Amino acid sequence: MLGIKQIASYLPERKKSNYDKKEKFALDDDFIENKIGVKYHCVKEDDEKASDLSVKAFENLLKKIDIEKENIDCCVVVTQNPDYNIPHTSAVVHGKLELSMNCACYDISLGCSGYVYGLSNILAFMKSNGLKHGLLFTADPYSEIIDHEDKNTDLIFGDGATVTYISENALYIPTSFKFGTNGKDYKEILCDDKLYMNGRAVFSFTATMIPKHIQSLLVENDLDDSDIDKYILHQGSKYIVDTIRKRLKVDVSKVPFDMYEYGNTVSSAVPIILEKELDNNHKRLLLSAYGIGLSWASAIIEKN
Amino acid sequence: MKATIENVKEVIVEADVLGNVDEMKSDVALSEQGIDSLDVVNVYLLLEEKFEISIPDEDLLQVKSIDAIVEYINKKID
Repeated sequence: MLGIKQIASYLPERKKSNYDKKEKFALDDDFIENKIGVKYHCVKEDDEKASDLSVKAFENLLKKIDIEKENIDCCVVVTQNPDYNIPHTSAVVHGKLELSMNCACYDISLGCSGYVYGLSNILAFMKSNGLKHGLLFTADPYSEIIDHEDKNTDLIFGDGATVTYISENALYIPTSFKFGTNGKDYKEILCDDKLYMNGRAVFSFTATMIPKHIQSLLVENDLDDSDIDKYILHQGSKYIVDTIRKRLKVDVSKVPFDMYEYGNTVSSAVPIILEKELDNNHKRLLLSAYGIGLSWASAIIEKN
Repeated sequence: MKATIENVKEVIVEADVLGNVDEMKSDVALSEQGIDSLDVVNVYLLLEEKFEISIPDEDLLQVKSIDAIVEYINKKID
């Protein structure tokens, strides 16, 4: 059965420190470390694009698992910061990786919820078309759209990319998905020229909507907290992750928080943590991602 | 339910902010008593849920202290 065979990520070496912004934004260390949860954020090189970050993630994937590139028959890129308006970034990645011409390529335009949507989408697409070896990339280089005078965004976002290899004999199989959208509030996270985010609205949305959404997914699957080994939540900020965890009444040990050294990497946030948990012999994990749209998606994945 | 200084302080405790809420002054802005910008939005959300009201962004200047919050909520639910 198709599922997650392996994951690799790429985080640029260049970093900016939030400690250097303490005076500018009137911050203290406690706020940086325990509220925002980002000490440093990764910043790509100026000439790097989403496709370049994706290629580097793929190079890291090859260090973990043997993949015959000519067998790749599906390549999907989740991004809202594509290399160009035209063509789709997955075609650029396809070219740079020299994949087979018998490979389907398409992009998915979603932000923070994109990995969970992308996982469901690529699995359904591959199953319905008899495809066997897929690559699901996430790459959203936000450093290109950040307003450096805006405390709400300049402290949080980091560049990064991931690739998930989808194939038979997988490590984990997604067993259930649940999705949601509130398009009426699309303006709360918006990029016309530079990124704007209404921090209060996004916090209220995540704190009220996501715990209920996760609970519904568990109930629909006749599961409860004791059945979930870890909850891999989108790393919006430490405050948001902590708030969702407290509202779910879940032990802190079951909710990894990981972005101190690289920042909120948007659609890459969940797979970056999932990569670290893949070999930890969990029976069942819950993934939940939420943000831009406003859009949210959760999944239960089980050890194969 | 009417808002009181006590039940607003209960909400602030529920928001898990740092410091001793009992010692907070009701006539001084929350932001001047160690409640940072993230804790404040959590307090507002919990107030909205507890009192079943909406506090729109344009009203935030009216809810800076505990006294002001009590007055604002009671006006809204009257």
